[in-house]
Amino acid sequence: MPLAMMKSGESACIKKITGGRTARGKLTGLGLVCGKEVKIHSDNSGSGPLIIALGDNRIALGRGLAHKIFVDKKGCEK
Amino acid sequence: MALKKKKKCSNQIKIALAGNPNSGKTTIFNELTGARQHVGNWPGVTVEKKTGSAYYNNCSLQVVDLPGTYSLGAYSEDEIVARDFLTSDDYDLVLNIINSGSLERNLYFTVQLLEMGVDLIAVLNMADEARKKGIKIDHKILSRMLGVPVVETVASKGKGVENLLAETVENQGLQKDQLKINYGFEIEDLISQIISQLEKSNIQDSVNKRWLAVKLIERDPEAVKLLEREVSKKSAKKIKSLIAKTELKAELDFDSIIIDKKYEFINNIVRKSVTRPAPEEEPDNISDKIDNVVTNKYLGIPIFMTVMWVIFQLTFTLGDPLIGYIETFFEFSGALIGSFLTGFGFSSLIVSFVSDGIIGGVGSVLVFIPNIFLLFLGIAVLEDTGYMSRAAYVMDKVMSKLGLHGKSFIPMIIGFGCNVPGVMATRTLDSKRDRIISILINPLMSCSARLPVYVVFAGALFPNHGGLVVFSLYLMGILLAVIMAGVFNKFLIKGERSHFVMELPPYRLPTFKGVVIHMWEKVGAFIKKAGTIIFSVAVLIWVMANLPVGVEYASAESLIGRFGQLAAPIFAPLGFGSWQAASSLVFGILAKEVVVSTLGVVYAAGEGSLRTVLAANFSPLAAYSFLAMVLIYTPCAATLGAIKSETQSWKWPIISAVYLFVLAWVVSFIIYQGGLLLGIGV
Ligand SMILES: Nc1nc2c(ncn2[C@@H]2O[C@H](COP(=O)(O)OP(=O)(O)OP(=O)(O)O)[C@@H](O)[C@H]2O)c(=O)[nH]1
Ligand SMILES: [Mg+2]
Repeated sequence: MPLAMMKSGESACIKKITGGRTARGKLTGLGLVCGKEVKIHSDNSGSGPLIIALGDNRIALGRGLAHKIFVDKKGCEK
Repeated sequence: MALKKKKKCSNQIKIALAGNPNSGKTTIFNELTGARQHVGNWPGVTVEKKTGSAYYNNCSLQVVDLPGTYSLGAYSEDEIVARDFLTSDDYDLVLNIINSGSLERNLYFTVQLLEMGVDLIAVLNMADEARKKGIKIDHKILSRMLGVPVVETVASKGKGVENLLAETVENQGLQKDQLKINYGFEIEDLISQIISQLEKSNIQDSVNKRWLAVKLIERDPEAVKLLEREVSKKSAKKIKSLIAKTELKAELDFDSIIIDKKYEFINNIVRKSVTRPAPEEEPDNISDKIDNVVTNKYLGIPIFMTVMWVIFQLTFTLGDPLIGYIETFFEFSGALIGSFLTGFGFSSLIVSFVSDGIIGGVGSVLVFIPNIFLLFLGIAVLEDTGYMSRAAYVMDKVMSKLGLHGKSFIPMIIGFGCNVPGVMATRTLDSKRDRIISILINPLMSCSARLPVYVVFAGALFPNHGGLVVFSLYLMGILLAVIMAGVFNKFLIKGERSHFVMELPPYRLPTFKGVVIHMWEKVGAFIKKAGTIIFSVAVLIWVMANLPVGVEYASAESLIGRFGQLAAPIFAPLGFGSWQAASSLVFGILAKEVVVSTLGVVYAAGEGSLRTVLAANFSPLAAYSFLAMVLIYTPCAATLGAIKSETQSWKWPIISAVYLFVLAWVVSFIIYQGGLLLGIGV
């Protein structure tokens, strides 16, 4: 499911990132790559940008971009 | 610190500071060079290259501070500045500044540099924060696995900087092997095929072939350009089709595999060199708690408004009594110097030059030092705590209705200080369209130079509602900016929409030193401006007020009087058709403070302060209309210059000069004529 559909407090594992070269490149630089566990800090009640936690980092992410990131709620296998 | 053996420096060593945004590069730059460059707790503070120098053990170092970047991909103008410098080879050593608290992500950039064959020192900055979180990094393992020296620093406290200098001098000129990550059988095979093709096509030796090959497989546009520059058309085409064919045959996404392998390499390093407490033992994260409130869906915008209101109140309420003291000082010294000069038998012309020209002109602006000081104190605190990027997040919803996104809000906040850095801060936006719109609306953010005009008029004509009047002008600016952004977005400027993604750094306590440096710089710049451009214009106006010879000082027949009369009819329908007002506006384009200093010179009839004269010459309605004009009309020369250099064309400064003048005229017209109709403030 897309990251954009997740609710505050949920965690999931990034499985796939779609989108153009620029979008992917920017996400990669910030450490948002396949196999990473992310947690939603604020889903902004379903509209507007989200705040996600990637390890110790907090990242504000536009909803459009969040629709391009596909995650698995089962989490990453260790 | 252990004594290092002394190494001779034959030439100056050129070092560059590079790394992720907000990792502390500029803080280290300032520590190394004694410079006072702008530091702030949000990503994207530095947008241009800055150079300084440092000395250590008889070695002279040239230090270059670069904008932060997450990768060499370079998606925005500031990142391009960093990428272009780092790929230029115009340096001996890179100090790669790393935020120790997020080693993994920072190393992604480090790895890119190492693959390019850059000589670097890994600087583990913010060691204090990592320690607080219980993160331990084994330097030995990290250094061995990366193949580079590792130094730990706490730049904000100046710790480890001496050691960093020693390591820098020690490691200059050491050539290390380029880092090679194993990308797996298919890709490695392709890489060697490309390399042999490149060799066959007689590519220059200086080009790093393996690096180029990997970049070509990633379809990096810059690498493709480099290839087309370096080899014949035929060879370039051959290599490109080789990559396309191999990838198709392998049925793999090489680009993703390369990224995965890089992160695999990094993860392995992190696993072996970093130990951190189990999740349940980690200390509470205060930043998250603050964020829960500050970025709350309903509270976010009201909190932001409150913050701006507090800064505003601080600037005016606290500043006002101080203005009084300085004003008295200037009046007193003006009178004293005047009588002193007269007593010594100087001609009345010289006395008038000093008391009307200099004190009436420059003095009337310098009075506002306390306000400027307080305003920048507020902005410095906003920048240093980390609230800036939260404001961008909170405002994203509003901004996206205008076709922009939250990040475009940061240049607007900076614009409250001064529009020149505001315009420059748009470099962090990655679509050209967002940048142009943001640049065009930035002058509507009421900068500190307009503040003296507001305060003088508010004091003269709205003694009981001064604060409210000035605040309404700030709001008017924001509102117009929002409207104009919407208009430009809808009708004028087309282009791709960009994505909003921005790091929210942890909240940090502003350091006393940081804030003081910040303000000292700004107040210094203000005083310098008063001593140069404002002074020169005041002298010019004074001379014009005395010519032609024999004319009554600052009368309608004087040169300035006649000049003002030429422009005055344009402003007459707005309620301020006097030649004094008109000439102050015309010269105000040189710098907005000049509006006040010009009024100070032309109204310096000797008796009373500027406020009294203004109260006699403006109705409250006309004054408000005049202030709206000053807020909106043509940006100052420095801002127009910045727009020119940022957009690389004359088109945009001309457009902004014209559209803002027209907008100002229309708004003032509505205010004045509307007010007349309703009979308010006449
Ligand atoms: N706790 C702590 N804070 C630091 C340290 N070094 C820098 N800072 C703070 O981190 C923030 C960012 O510092 P800058 O020097 O502006 O970072 P930069 O890398 O130049 O950032 P950009 O120009 O945006 O790329 C500031 O608030 C500094 O005060 C450190 O060692 N420890
Ligand atoms: Mg910086």
